[in-house]
Amino acid sequence: MRMMSLYKDKDTIIHKIDPLNKILYILASILITMLISDFKILTLTLVFSFLLLAIGKVIKNVFPIISFSLIVLVTIVVIQGLFNPNNKIPLFNIGQFVFYKEGIIYSFLLILRVLNILCAFSLLILTTKPSDLIENLVRRGLSPKLGYVLASVLQIIPQMLSTMDTILDAQRSRGLETEGKLIKRLKAFIPLIGPAVMNSLISTRERAMALEMRGFNSNIKKTFLNEHNETSMDKLIRYLIIALIIFTIVWRLVWLK
Amino acid sequence: MAKIVVEGLKYRYPLSQKLALNDISFEINEGEFIGIIGANGAGKSTLCQALTGIVPLFFKGDYGGRVIIDDVEVAKSNLSEISLKIGMVFQNPFTQITGSKLTVYEEVAFGLENMGFEREEMKRRIDDALMLLDLYRHKDKNPFDLSGGQMQRLAIASIIAMQPKIIVLDEPTSQLDPQGSNEVFKAVSDLKKKGITVIMVEHKVEKLSEYADRIMLLHDGRLIDFDTPSKIFSKDDLKDYGVVEPVFTRYCKKIGLKDERGLYPVTLDEAVNLVVKKREHNS
Amino acid sequence: MNIIVKDLYFYYKEGEDVLKGINLEFDDRCTAIIGQNGAGKTTFVKLLKGLLKPKKGDIFIKGLNTKETTVAKLASIIGLVFQNPNDQIFKNKVLDEVMFGPLNIGQDKNLAFENAKKALELVALLQKADENPYDLTLSERKLISIASILAMDTDIIILDEPTIAQDFISREKIKNIIKKLKEEGKLVITITHDMDFVAENFERTIVFNQGQVLLDGPTKEVFSKEDILKTAHLEPPYITQLFKRLGFSETVLNLEEALNYKIL
Repeated sequence: MRMMSLYKDKDTIIHKIDPLNKILYILASILITMLISDFKILTLTLVFSFLLLAIGKVIKNVFPIISFSLIVLVTIVVIQGLFNPNNKIPLFNIGQFVFYKEGIIYSFLLILRVLNILCAFSLLILTTKPSDLIENLVRRGLSPKLGYVLASVLQIIPQMLSTMDTILDAQRSRGLETEGKLIKRLKAFIPLIGPAVMNSLISTRERAMALEMRGFNSNIKKTFLNEHNETSMDKLIRYLIIALIIFTIVWRLVWLK
Repeated sequence: MAKIVVEGLKYRYPLSQKLALNDISFEINEGEFIGIIGANGAGKSTLCQALTGIVPLFFKGDYGGRVIIDDVEVAKSNLSEISLKIGMVFQNPFTQITGSKLTVYEEVAFGLENMGFEREEMKRRIDDALMLLDLYRHKDKNPFDLSGGQMQRLAIASIIAMQPKIIVLDEPTSQLDPQGSNEVFKAVSDLKKKGITVIMVEHKVEKLSEYADRIMLLHDGRLIDFDTPSKIFSKDDLKDYGVVEPVFTRYCKKIGLKDERGLYPVTLDEAVNLVVKKREHNS
Repeated sequence: MNIIVKDLYFYYKEGEDVLKGINLEFDDRCTAIIGQNGAGKTTFVKLLKGLLKPKKGDIFIKGLNTKETTVAKLASIIGLVFQNPNDQIFKNKVLDEVMFGPLNIGQDKNLAFENAKKALELVALLQKADENPYDLTLSERKLISIASILAMDTDIIILDEPTIAQDFISREKIKNIIKKLKEEGKLVITITHDMDFVAENFERTIVFNQGQVLLDGPTKEVFSKEDILKTAHLEPPYITQLFKRLGFSETVLNLEEALNYKIL
């Protein structure tokens, strides 16, 4: 594992969309799912997200993410179906447990919301190179140092894990038992974590020096190797999403009255 | 014109009792290839750090004397400014990779981006640096996928792209296999041909003697001697300083084979030539 | 026979063999393993040590098949010093660090203490037994990591790159340690890139190249095959090169041997 990331490198229109637009899309879907409690609209937005994921050729990769949250979702259905305080009309029963219509409807709405947000996040994560996302944020004012930390962590943690393997081997070579009873494993903790901490302190200091030699703390305004041309398409998408957000809020306010 | 002037340099790390550098003075001219030798703990790394400003700007501690590069006093400047005059390459190729870039090409750009170079200038410099270090064909690879020797050359390329006039290398080959070391030595000698001043700490004295114009011998934080490889390695008290001469020199010392100046050969070629000359003379 | 390796294959990822059919036997001769990075040397010694298990073939350490023996059990027969001492040091006293291995393999406190003292004496660091390892230099830490394996008193000792980043003095120390171990009748196997170090200290040399044994024999014989060495990107020791250039047909390994010849 070279890099901790779910990014799938493919050549699609979705991949080319400005990362900022994808972030806005997440915002929009959070807002819509929070403000609107309409099955049809939420289903529609979900279908739209799936459509985008399909265009981005990453739809296969969404399912593991969804199934990961499935346990939570099933729990919601069970708890709401059984115990929602508004429960009145019984729908069906499993043995002595009676599920009610109100609770089931409520939980399905909740699931739709979660899925909407999950898909919007997946769209960003699966189709955006982390480094592009971070560079984009740095261009828009994120501190370059914070940007560096975020970007490097994704590659350096896997490197640290491989050092962990070496340490494990070195200590096992000295007869350290790392398998078996819990007490044995606990005892093995310090011999493993001690060198790991020292190693990372040493390499962090070395890396800090090396970064200093490459202008890391320079006060000059940073430039970027990669060009960043915002296409008119990107602008159009941005305005559309912003319009959608405003429309939702206004509509919700009017509708509430 | 002297490029580097060091006057009465003294330094003690924070929390340490001992002077890591003790009253060191010397000058290095533009375009020279300087080797630094000495036992572990002699102050070699600290001297490198003092030349590049890491001491005292990164490591604090007690500092005295002056390091002047191109009329700029290092201790009174700042590290990013110094990095355009003098670059430094460290021992471990691994910890010099930023980790935030996904390709070799972008990795070299890191320093240039920080220093605010224009895109066209940046690309020109990256292309040049990658060509010079023979890495151009790897430009799209992930830096962590390179071999040790390639990674160390990438570290050098990343420094060279800043176009410093001087480059300091602290044991750059110690973690590499023979092929990797040879790659780095070749790269460094190419830098010298380009007119860059090279300062290199190195235990492989046989290699160092082939390339260095002058060698600095350090011991216990002091500068013991600073002279040509022949003169340094012809000294008879090297053992006292925990260093050893190239194996050719050691052999010639044992059999008492020296040239007309009374100096011993320090490289393979010198040793062979001297023997051939003596043989001709004898017959 | 100390170690028997039969038709050994190993890979980390299927289809990318790191070791391809290694057959070797190790007697008591001090042995160097050389070859480029990536040739499979470190993987090979990890297999000897039982940290990795063969994908095909077998390894017998003193008659024990590594596939059927736990790492903990092998630890009392075969010791391995890793390249970077920082990967193992965790105690805040040198003596405790060196006693860690012996105690793990079941030596009682007194024996572990005696063995640790002996080991520290051998690496000439007994006077620093009460110090914190991280207050010492990297070279000294390297010697402590060697001592921490020596104290386990194994019959077989493997050193992975012992001379890396070491100065002349520590190199001489390591040379003496190897000599002492040899005198005690132990098998010492060393991975190294330092050809002169090989020529000075090892009776037998094995060259690994792309997961296979390219050359194996008495060190002198191996270094006489300059052309084959070149295919593995290796050069003979400097002294050997010098005598070749001076027109000697014999392979002269080191300074000691060189003094037997008249070059003028």
